[in-house]
Amino acid sequence: MSFLDQKEPPRREERLGACIAMSDTVGTLAKKKSCLLDDGERAFSQGSICLMLPALAILNSIPDSVVLVHGANGCGSCSHSQNANTRSGSLQRTGKGKDAIWLSTGLNETDVIGGGEVKLAPAIREADLRYKPKTIFVVSTCVPGIIGDDIDGVVAEVQPDVEARIVPVHCQGFKTKIWATAYDAVYHGIGRRLLDEPEESDEATVLQDVKVSISGEQQTEEETEQVSQLERERFHRTVNLMNVSSMGRVDELELERLLQSIGLEVNFFPVFASPDGMYKMTKAALSISTCPTHDDYILKHLKEKYDVPYQLKHMPIGIENTNRWLRDIAVFFGLEERAEQIIEQEVQELGSALEEFKPLFAGKTVFVSAGEFRALATAQLLMELGFDVRGIRSFHHDEFAEGEYEKLARQAKTDFLINIANVQPFEEANLLQKLKPDLFLGHTNGNMTASKLGIATHVIYNTGLSYVGYKGAYELARRLYRQLRNPSFNINLSKHIRLPYRAEWYQADPFRYIRTRGGRCHE
Amino acid sequence: MSNQVFVERPRYTCASGGAVATVTALPGGIPILHAAQGCAGNFAWTQNGAAGLQVGGYCGSLTVPSSNVQEREVVFGGVDRLCQQITHTLEVMEGELFVLLTSCVTEIIGDDVAPVVAEFREQGVPITFAETAGFKGNSYAGYDLVLQSLFRDILERGLPLQKGRVNLWGIPPYQDVFWRGNLVELRGLLEKLGLTVNSFFTAEDTVESIRTASAAELNIVVSEVYGLEAAKVSQEIHGVPYVTTALPIGPAATEQFLRQVAQALSLEPAILESVIASEQRYYYRTLEPLTDCYNDMDLQRYAIVVGDGNYAPALTRFLADDLGWLPELVVITDSHDDDRKRALTLTVKTLTSGLKPHLVFESDGSQIISHFHQIWPSRQNQKYKHAFNPAFVVGSSLERELAASLGAAHVSISFPVSNRAILDRGYAGYRGGLRLIEDLLGVVIAGR
Repeated sequence: MSFLDQKEPPRREERLGACIAMSDTVGTLAKKKSCLLDDGERAFSQGSICLMLPALAILNSIPDSVVLVHGANGCGSCSHSQNANTRSGSLQRTGKGKDAIWLSTGLNETDVIGGGEVKLAPAIREADLRYKPKTIFVVSTCVPGIIGDDIDGVVAEVQPDVEARIVPVHCQGFKTKIWATAYDAVYHGIGRRLLDEPEESDEATVLQDVKVSISGEQQTEEETEQVSQLERERFHRTVNLMNVSSMGRVDELELERLLQSIGLEVNFFPVFASPDGMYKMTKAALSISTCPTHDDYILKHLKEKYDVPYQLKHMPIGIENTNRWLRDIAVFFGLEERAEQIIEQEVQELGSALEEFKPLFAGKTVFVSAGEFRALATAQLLMELGFDVRGIRSFHHDEFAEGEYEKLARQAKTDFLINIANVQPFEEANLLQKLKPDLFLGHTNGNMTASKLGIATHVIYNTGLSYVGYKGAYELARRLYRQLRNPSFNINLSKHIRLPYRAEWYQADPFRYIRTRGGRCHE
Repeated sequence: MSNQVFVERPRYTCASGGAVATVTALPGGIPILHAAQGCAGNFAWTQNGAAGLQVGGYCGSLTVPSSNVQEREVVFGGVDRLCQQITHTLEVMEGELFVLLTSCVTEIIGDDVAPVVAEFREQGVPITFAETAGFKGNSYAGYDLVLQSLFRDILERGLPLQKGRVNLWGIPPYQDVFWRGNLVELRGLLEKLGLTVNSFFTAEDTVESIRTASAAELNIVVSEVYGLEAAKVSQEIHGVPYVTTALPIGPAATEQFLRQVAQALSLEPAILESVIASEQRYYYRTLEPLTDCYNDMDLQRYAIVVGDGNYAPALTRFLADDLGWLPELVVITDSHDDDRKRALTLTVKTLTSGLKPHLVFESDGSQIISHFHQIWPSRQNQKYKHAFNPAFVVGSSLERELAASLGAAHVSISFPVSNRAILDRGYAGYRGGLRLIEDLLGVVIAGR
């Protein structure tokens, strides 16, 4: 039975054996064949995010939709920051910046005792009447998860009276430590509810337009055949490019440029994709992931149910990674020759452009922290730029990244530290104090530790900035050059501000609070 | 119109989030969340998008210790994990005040945290707790609950009263994006009256001044709606009386505020009058050179004011009574009980300029335009029409679409403030009024 036949997707801990707490070195990890590493628990931990946050980041971007967060009044307030992305993202794509619409059922003490379902049904009806959306995403959170609200039951009951398609998305934060489950949760909802082709589809309209433009009013049988042939060819050259909000428009454009240069057409899913057009992902010739950690759930579903093959390898961050990513796609379509020409030209142009920055980068040590694939791919880029990578912290670990450790181990001058941690700045503070890198790249909300220690920093992920492809490699280098030329903001902070850790902590083993499975303590 | 089944884009986070923000703003304050792992991140992202670029502080954002409870704790209870977490927090974190904050998950599963915290406090750890499950209230409630906990557990009991010592609160850190500037300004004014002030959250405040704040002669709450329960707790436990007042913005409200405080403390009238005279002189001398341009450029505006229970009435009063603008519609976006609604209504309806703006309690930003159309019918296609212009929407960053649809200027003041960088800017007091004029007119003339 497919995962999508269930109400909720499985936890990634079970589905993928993903883990969040361990430390090792790149050399050792490169040799491990299984992803089932010794996962651990922390006996001291700091806050992180849950799957609801990245899920809302995707859902808030989807046009003609409202997001109804079923939970206490604060769940989903993260949308305030995502709204900035929704505004700029819609401005870049449609010329009009629009606020996302998110709503909260605001469950209170009475609801906790009596159940929240009574609130959910009228909330869905009211949202449908008031905003007239095409889709209502009902996001379930911790409270309904514990008190046992049957979200899918309510949705099934209300759907016949409601114009919008209602998509349940299950985001109970306490159920999984792996917040990348967010992508499964969103894809699960989309896969179950939004992939059916509408009866009067856009495709039919497109086909009609093509017919008219080719033949005018009269149409012979031959011409009809000609049109169908054209249309088939078009689908044969159209790919799904998956973006779960880890790329901004500038990055989409770079990948579109590369794919178009070998003759492919690109549709982006699911961010900023119209709910009515989601079914088009079932029609493509190939689905392409830009970050394997994000997309396996839907790509496997598209393959199984709609026979759309997929590519789930390499992240196009870094020069060699981009080459490989593009080359694999080209091989699928038999366009190797064209791709090799493009790659050669791009690599050469980029190489000369980077020369300007390399003397400043040469031998500088760097520490990277982010989602696993992004951290590893960015580390490879940093090596290509001449940095000496001293450590990587990934938010979790799963099977998709196995090959990446081998790539890194091959490139690394010396073995270095790998630490799996869902953020945990206290470990980071300890490590950075010991390793004293020249540069730190951390995720959103993840640079404050290095910053206050006076280390030059740069954000490794921000949807407005350019990171991917050849252009991303150049732009990242350009930004790092800027940061390294004057890190005074951080240096000044470090002179006047202290991190909230005891002096003794910096002397301790940074991993002393990790207890691995079976109760062994790291001390 | 507002409905009972959902809130559109709530302009706050939950009690737990408000509490974390509050503890983060205390000197050496370390919040400890007893919660699922995502709560801290939700609060960090909220501040990132809504608090004028201020995220965290000494120990905020993703630095906040959190027990990160999972399914196992939901089934078997989370008290053991909590004890472990507090023990290790004390090993790792350097703090002066620790505040344990519960959440939806840990309150539903019934973790009894009071005895756990009591045990640590008996060992001399400066720690208290607040039960801040999200289903119990919003950020404002979280702020109030943390203050109550400080009064209950951290402020020393039985200290002799110190004449001239006061405590000042009513401005929730981060939820009021201008909290720091507002507190500093009002604190400074009270000091000019000769008072010794504890205001909990400014750089001047210390854990020591908070501990001994129970010796105060008076608690001053510059809010008609936030922090009032804490004032009651303080009165009950420490016997300190309190006064409440609308957030004073600009000369009219600030003079009234100073007079109210002076009266409650029976201060020497000469000192009071001299402070008021000096502050007013500064305000009007500073304003004086604006006179030409204010007139020449016709800078009077109609206004729609949208904000929380502190800002909506306070801004309205400033615009109407100090600046001479025409606020026509006032929207209070957070929920209040009937008593507090009455207090807020009274403030909006007793303007000295005699204006009577229409006041609504409406949580959903998209519905404001309908309220507006009810009081200001559109008169399209008429040659002579009394249009709503020139106009200004003074609200949050969620009012940009409203302002654009009315062709009005806009500035974000009430939460969320996504499109401004705020560090210590404040609008309270006399000088705050001047800042506000700068910011309002700055928008109007930006293209000049």
